[in-house]
Amino acid sequence: MLRLLLIATRSLAQHNRRTLLLGGAIAVVTALLVVLLELSTGLRATILRSATTLMTGHVNVAGFYKVTAGQSAPVVTQYPKVVEVIRKSVPELDYLIVRGRGWAKVISESGAVQVGIGGVDIKKEPGLHKVLRIREGSIDDLAEPNTILLFDEQAKKLEVKVGDLLTISAPTPRGTSNTLDVRVVAIARDLGLLSTFNVFIPMVSLQALYQLRNDTTGALMLYLKNIKAVPVVHARLREALQGAGYALMEDNPKAFWMKFDSVNREDWTGQKLDITNWDEEVSFVTYTVTALDMLTGVLTFVLLIIIAIGVMNTMWISIRERTREIGTLRAIGMQRRRVLWMFVLEALVLGLASTSVGALLGVAICGLLNAAHIAVPIGVQLFLMNDTLILLADPAKIAGAVLFITFCTTAIALFPSFLAARLKPISAMHYIG
Amino acid sequence: MHRLIEATGWLFAILILLLVTPAQALMGHEQLMQLLRVVDDRQQNNGDYRALIYLEQKEKDKTDVVREGIVYRRSADQRLMILFSKPKSEQGKGYLRVDKNLWSYDPNVGKWERRTERERIAGTDSRRADFDESRLSEEYEPSDDGDDKLGAYNVHRLTLKVKPDVDVAFPIVKLWIDTATSNVLKRQEFALSGRLMRTLYYPRWQKQFSESKNGDFWYPPEIRIYDEVEKANSTIVLIKTVDLRPLETNIFTKAWFESKSR
Repeated sequence: MLRLLLIATRSLAQHNRRTLLLGGAIAVVTALLVVLLELSTGLRATILRSATTLMTGHVNVAGFYKVTAGQSAPVVTQYPKVVEVIRKSVPELDYLIVRGRGWAKVISESGAVQVGIGGVDIKKEPGLHKVLRIREGSIDDLAEPNTILLFDEQAKKLEVKVGDLLTISAPTPRGTSNTLDVRVVAIARDLGLLSTFNVFIPMVSLQALYQLRNDTTGALMLYLKNIKAVPVVHARLREALQGAGYALMEDNPKAFWMKFDSVNREDWTGQKLDITNWDEEVSFVTYTVTALDMLTGVLTFVLLIIIAIGVMNTMWISIRERTREIGTLRAIGMQRRRVLWMFVLEALVLGLASTSVGALLGVAICGLLNAAHIAVPIGVQLFLMNDTLILLADPAKIAGAVLFITFCTTAIALFPSFLAARLKPISAMHYIG
Repeated sequence: MHRLIEATGWLFAILILLLVTPAQALMGHEQLMQLLRVVDDRQQNNGDYRALIYLEQKEKDKTDVVREGIVYRRSADQRLMILFSKPKSEQGKGYLRVDKNLWSYDPNVGKWERRTERERIAGTDSRRADFDESRLSEEYEPSDDGDDKLGAYNVHRLTLKVKPDVDVAFPIVKLWIDTATSNVLKRQEFALSGRLMRTLYYPRWQKQFSESKNGDFWYPPEIRIYDEVEKANSTIVLIKTVDLRPLETNIFTKAWFESKSR
């Protein structure tokens, strides 16, 4: 086998121009695939980091309370009892955040925006300090009642700065109009799509706006020690809460604010809990990652076809050039299988060497792009969830890409190799190319 | 002795005051309730109602939108239906109230969505109550703010507070009622926080004889609604061609609405 490998390598080295051309093409495709994979991984990681801080835990226990069949509020009543059940049934729990939820109109002298409102106890939200980049004001001032944190784009739309007053207008769970006057204490840099419709106010202010009791909140956001435990915890929580006598909504992998219509259509009243995962809550933005993954798939498929044609063509040329050599080798006793292996190994060596170089090239390009801190336009920021391009290397994915392309180039070489192995020694030796 | 007589006199005076004051307040409250009942009664038909309406919506930085629609009402079971016919994008959309549920229909998606009765109608500043029969005396407790002038009109001012366990969009309402006709000329609605949310003006009132009521039915041909939070927003409601003849029996159904939506 080692000898066959040597023959294959020498053959590639002998036809260096052809090898370089084809190997270069394979390397470029691999590099492109690696860059796209790193972009997708970076995007997913950024979304996870931003989303799991701004609007969702790894797992959420939230729900709706309906005073009448047509009037739902995204609240969990008597939440301390629910927390007890969670703590008993989720040993994987790292920490838990109690977050108020609302949907309201924020109005300034010059404009208005409809936003989701997060009610926070800022002293218990270390994640917000890490993720939000404050441009103006102080996030710690959210500890005072009747204050608000906005994002850049919202502040621009409302034409306000730190210290200005805004009015939040929303109906209470009973449908009665209420308002709250708040002071802008911080303006954070935009965090893509998630920051366009999220603002934060103190929990006590949210309770005052919606006339909620102290033991009522919007969502219990669970952060696990290992995010991979999400599906298991999700299933176990359903059982535990059902066992504790809570009515649960059916699994519906959507963000809570996309469920109002369906919840209002249903006839029940009272409290129903809803258990969701982080990826369900941000499903409306993860489609960008899915789209990017699909684009990567289509692009890879097209480029692989081009490479396949190239590899097959090269193998045909190689076989034709070496027909007499094949005949001689067969005549001195080389088995058909070994002839087959000789050509397959040639494709394998070419594929493995080229994809490895391509992967290294891709990683280097990503490193350079990250180091350059390339600012992206606002339209792109919406989907990237960041103001700069972030690419993140995932060794397993890169290794997968290398192996996949190598496998494809090798598999494509099987057919011409098989035909070469079937050549009769006498006719091959008499072949005049 | 003189002091004793003086003290007894004061005590007697206070006793009379205590006896008289509640009786006057009670009467005042009853009079106010009576006034509210009159306001309600003038706008009630005790039968069916059909009217062509126009909603002119003005919003900041947006072009004005005029909607045309028909309001159907039935007093007997408090049914209400609003079916929009113009503009083309709103054609076939509307609302249907069945019992305590307000349903919204969009023919583009073919779905009924349950809404709160206190929601804005078609995203304008108007609410369901602006098109429905007046039920002020059932929903609110009045208090007297005295007499006043509103332009050339002599008015009686009332402040209404929502009764316990009654759900309304605005828990506090101020009314300016024409002393001569008992028609509402101006109405201000406040949020729970006490903030003024909407101001409504009723510049004119018209009456029409109702056979079902066997008396006059009053309605405002024009309602001007000003959003007091988003100051630049306002809505004008025009109510035209009011028809008080009985409607078909089964029109307040989703099936009938959908058939008209097509």
